[in-house]
Amino acid sequence: MPAGYDGMTEQEALSPVKLALQLLWFTFWTGFPIKLAFALLFLAMGLINFEARIGLAFLMILASPVTVFALPILMIGLDSHIGEGVGIGLLFLLCIPIDIWAYGVVAKTYFLDRLRLEPPEGIGLSLWMKTAVVGALYLPILWLVVGFTTETAISFAHSLFEIDFLKGVPVAERIGAQLVLWGTIATVVLLVMLLVGLWLIGRVIQNAMKRAQPVSGSYQGRVMRWDLMRVPADQGLMLTAFAGTGIVLSILFWSALPATTPRPHDCCKKPEVKTQPPYKAIDALNKDEKVIVQLTAQLEALEKKKAEEETQGKSKRKGNAGKEPAKAPSASAPIQSESKKP
Amino acid sequence: MQQSSSTSTQPTALEKVISFIDERVGLKTLQAKMLNEPVPGGSRWAYIFGSILLFIFIMQAVTGILLMFYYVPTADHAYASTQYIIHDVDYGWFLLSYHFWGSTAMVVCVFAHMSQVFLWGAYKKPRELIWLVGLALFGLVMGFGFTGYLLPWDQRAYWATTVGVEIMDKTPIVGDFMARFLKGGPTPGQMTLSRFFVIHVMILPATLMGLAGLHLFLFRKAGAAGPFRGSVEELKVKTDYFFPRQVWKDIVGMVTVFLAICAMAFWEPVVLLEEATPDPGDYHPEPEWYFLFLFQMLRLKIFAGEFGQFLGAVALPGAFMAFLAALPFIDRDPERNIFKRPIALIGWIVVMATILIFTVSSIINREFLD
Amino acid sequence: MQPKLKSKVRAADREIGEVTRVIMDPLSREVSHIVVSLNGSGERQVAMVHVQSVSDHLVELRSAASEILALPPFKRDDFVTIHEVEIAHLEENIHVAPGEVLVPLPELEKSVKRRTFFMNFTHAIGFLIGLPIAYPVLRYLMKPMYQPFDNRWLKIGNVGKIKQEDVGVQFKYRKQVKEAYLPEADIEKNVWILKATSPVLEKVYQGKDMEFRDADGKTVWLNKKEVPYIAFSGKCPHLGCGYKWRKHKLLGQVFLCPCHLSIYDAAGKVLDGPAPRPLDALPIKVSAGGDVQIVDMEFKAGTKAQIRIV
Repeated sequence: MPAGYDGMTEQEALSPVKLALQLLWFTFWTGFPIKLAFALLFLAMGLINFEARIGLAFLMILASPVTVFALPILMIGLDSHIGEGVGIGLLFLLCIPIDIWAYGVVAKTYFLDRLRLEPPEGIGLSLWMKTAVVGALYLPILWLVVGFTTETAISFAHSLFEIDFLKGVPVAERIGAQLVLWGTIATVVLLVMLLVGLWLIGRVIQNAMKRAQPVSGSYQGRVMRWDLMRVPADQGLMLTAFAGTGIVLSILFWSALPATTPRPHDCCKKPEVKTQPPYKAIDALNKDEKVIVQLTAQLEALEKKKAEEETQGKSKRKGNAGKEPAKAPSASAPIQSESKKP
Repeated sequence: MQQSSSTSTQPTALEKVISFIDERVGLKTLQAKMLNEPVPGGSRWAYIFGSILLFIFIMQAVTGILLMFYYVPTADHAYASTQYIIHDVDYGWFLLSYHFWGSTAMVVCVFAHMSQVFLWGAYKKPRELIWLVGLALFGLVMGFGFTGYLLPWDQRAYWATTVGVEIMDKTPIVGDFMARFLKGGPTPGQMTLSRFFVIHVMILPATLMGLAGLHLFLFRKAGAAGPFRGSVEELKVKTDYFFPRQVWKDIVGMVTVFLAICAMAFWEPVVLLEEATPDPGDYHPEPEWYFLFLFQMLRLKIFAGEFGQFLGAVALPGAFMAFLAALPFIDRDPERNIFKRPIALIGWIVVMATILIFTVSSIINREFLD
Repeated sequence: MQPKLKSKVRAADREIGEVTRVIMDPLSREVSHIVVSLNGSGERQVAMVHVQSVSDHLVELRSAASEILALPPFKRDDFVTIHEVEIAHLEENIHVAPGEVLVPLPELEKSVKRRTFFMNFTHAIGFLIGLPIAYPVLRYLMKPMYQPFDNRWLKIGNVGKIKQEDVGVQFKYRKQVKEAYLPEADIEKNVWILKATSPVLEKVYQGKDMEFRDADGKTVWLNKKEVPYIAFSGKCPHLGCGYKWRKHKLLGQVFLCPCHLSIYDAAGKVLDGPAPRPLDALPIKVSAGGDVQIVDMEFKAGTKAQIRIV
């Protein structure tokens, strides 16, 4: 065996659950601050509206390496919501590169420090793909099982306190006792399901371990390796890019942030101001001109008609004296009323 | 850190300024002593909560001072000025919501920090004094939450405070005096608001700064406790300095907390109820969420009656705090590994679970209140 | 073992040099190595395991001089001085300086009598500095805490509003108060008034007229037990919340406080809940025309005994 390779047994002794827990815990928190920055920006822009289930939303985003595909399945298939808005989908899409990067950093550190193995190439991506699939398949099952057990436990606890012996228990004590009862059941079931899920992911990690070569060198040497991995080759570029991105995101945030509260109190709601369409003088003039032209044409037509009738009427004049004067004023009256309009 | 000998090139202007100050202040030595504290076993994410608490306090002070530009602590104008901040002042709603959620973050981090210190056994010899000062700081944080809650002067603020002060009144002998002192009279009113304002804005911050300074000084004197397991070799190999490694972790933690508070400000911005009236009307008084477990405990039948209320509200919590204070003197076993201290571990789980159960019960109980 | 700086170093066979530096382990805070300056041939870092004995001026090594010379040369760059890092509890553990650096004690400070006198006098003055302020400050803070009672009669309405007997009817009224420097203000208050039948009256009065006192114990009013109207203060005696007249699914029509679910019957007696005493009755006067007047008193919440505070 190569020098420095101290016992395969030690690595095998590491249970899948422990492996998964350590790797996932660090990966979740490594990516979290970055995800949070984007979540905040989307909140400011109004793209996301988390409903009451903020705790659940937080857990889903924290654990995005495993929930990224599970979430759509849960939201559509099982009809449960963590919130409204296109921002949620965007956020989870953004989580993908963040998670792959986080996995890479954490896995490389862990392989070197604890497992004494050389981290394989592209371990971040391969881990992400496998755990996302495992999550997509397993989390809906977990959701259903835990949900069903919790509902059953709650109704059981409630019905338990309907029996005569326990009916007289006062409200506060009853709530506490019921909560302990169904809470314990639900928690135990949840823990068991989580352990199973962790075990599955642990097997994925163990498969990755099998592909890895053992690494030689002292402990100090390995620690220095993963520690120095974090120092970028081109410090200036990395720091400038980071600061630059931060500034851009901050400016976006400033422009998106509403100046007054998005949830006003009844006392101080801003009145709905309907802006009047702007008054354009030239349009009014043109319109009036058209109206005048129309009316003059009408007037001419009427006068023509009147002239024709007059020539006709001259022959009939003996009987129809009153008609003509009535026509002229009625022809002029519409012109007056039209001119009053603008 | 080697001090490089002067090269043939002239020192830059900045270097000249630094050596000017260093000659008079001993800046370089001071800086080295402050920042180059070796952390045995290396910097850890578990240690960030103390620094985060300091950061949150500074943010609360900053947002609090900004709020004071517009807030007026009189019964006539407290409500209106707070509504003005929320609805009219640009981004006032955001700053107020930040201040509000910052206080929640502070309580959460206080619990996290106390739990971390407890689980790591970092209250044991020689760190007993740090623990005691820390408990006093915990009391101050609770005091901040309690006094600040009254200031908007809406129904929720007024009634939660009234109920809270009346509970304090139950303490025998000194209870009446304490309650009248806080209320500034037999009943809550303008005097109460003035007193709570002074306490919240001057007395508590000054005390907190003093005690926090003492806490830090004692911590440096005793040195960081470090991890509770690990061979000597592992500790040596991973040792790094406070700056920049632990500071880096602290800052990432601070950024995360800052972003989280901002996010909460968007999710639930502060919305006041109606202005306070001497009659609660349809409103059910309720304290802030970190007092809910006590509130629910007082609803239990065993704490009914005058003495029962005193027992549940003052005696029991008081006894628990006294127990915590006595902890370093009771628990003299130098073992710090939490997995080898079953009583400590189980005790912590039981306390946390109890607080959680009572808090959730209190929320469920809201539906049964009519 | 704490070798002193500048002490001579002797190997098994001969003297080889002197101790120029001492290296400490920051975790255990013990001396881990000494740096020996060999007479002219550079410096060597020697682990303490090689050291056989240490005295004030001499360090004796187990190994031969040749072994020590064979050690690699000392690398100063791998270390920092204790002025460049903060090591907790350092001074208590390291005693390697070969002597003390002293400064003279001033002549005046040599008199013990002088020192103790000024020390005690400083303590006395320090105590007295605060003292004159203490009492005024206490009174300053306590000024609004104990107020004289307001025994005015307030008109709050007419009993014509009460249609049924033994049913609680809420009367809302405004009271003028002047608090400290504030302009006179109206505050809204409420009481619950019952037109009581004799069994209920009997429960409330229990055969005696109800006495109301002032701060100094002087009786200011007696509620005669024959008057069929009872006024209960609108504040629950548990913690001061406003309570309601409600229908309870088991107990019928009761006064119910929403805060902690204290339940009282029509006579104000506690049926359930954490209330420490029955509802507080107030002085009541009903004129011939039915106009009701009360004295607005408030009592301390949460106590078994009824203690008036306003």
